[in-house]
Amino acid sequence: MRLLIVDDSSIMRRIIEKNLKDYDIEIIGTAPDGHKALEIVKEKKPDVITLDITMPGMDGLACLDEIMVVHPAAKVMIITALSDKLTGLRALDKGARGFLYKPVNADDLANAFDRLLKRNENK
Amino acid sequence: MKTSKAEFDATCSLFINSVNNYFRHLTEIDSELNVPYIKQSEGLVLKDYTGMIGISGNRKGFVYISADRHMYEDLIKIFIGIDDPSDEDILDMAGEISNVVAGNVRANLGANFMISVPVVFQGMPSQLKIPSDVSIYVIPIVWNNHEAYVVIGLQ
Repeated sequence: MRLLIVDDSSIMRRIIEKNLKDYDIEIIGTAPDGHKALEIVKEKKPDVITLDITMPGMDGLACLDEIMVVHPAAKVMIITALSDKLTGLRALDKGARGFLYKPVNADDLANAFDRLLKRNENK
Repeated sequence: MKTSKAEFDATCSLFINSVNNYFRHLTEIDSELNVPYIKQSEGLVLKDYTGMIGISGNRKGFVYISADRHMYEDLIKIFIGIDDPSDEDILDMAGEISNVVAGNVRANLGANFMISVPVVFQGMPSQLKIPSDVSIYVIPIVWNNHEAYVVIGLQ
């Protein structure tokens, strides 16, 4: 499983990286905004992408639209502080496979990835 | 139009809950709330490092969280195990807390409570201008023996 981590916070990117190190996951890149993320998606075609929404330049929802065009097989898990229901529904409607509200701790990430990977086993 | 006091208080309560949830959920150490107050005088209440979020949509204004370096150092130590974070890491941490606290308020206020990406700064930037037509509500908090301010300015 090859993972791309997208978040404008360097601390948050490292939190995700640290807490997923026990999984059979290769982190193939990190990106601080949607534009950089899209470059990596086109070049490396990651299996899974964690995607923040509030980012400078291209935000996560706009980036998700583009990802679904260039690499629709990617499993995108939104990890965002925007905890209103509408944003979650929009993201799922656009093709996200999972949604996690910040603040996220190690258990939250583990549970979310367990669910995501279990779903993948059935597909 | 100015926000009514009741509406303003209700909004502040949402931010207080959001701050408390942040620290409890991520550190298992509760934050303590001191007596909030409305700031009347000129000038801003600031600690060493600040993350500020602009608010637009059906409410306009800002929220910021300001704390000394040691608080951010403790958080970074808990989160990723770094003992001596860089200034960049400290500012990043300040921005991320503000982002999460402001973003979580949307659970109650909805998607029309729009937030910007964080603006982060050290000290008191000379070019920082606060609109004169906002009520500024200061919530002093203490987490893990570190004092911080949550400051909300809303029209």
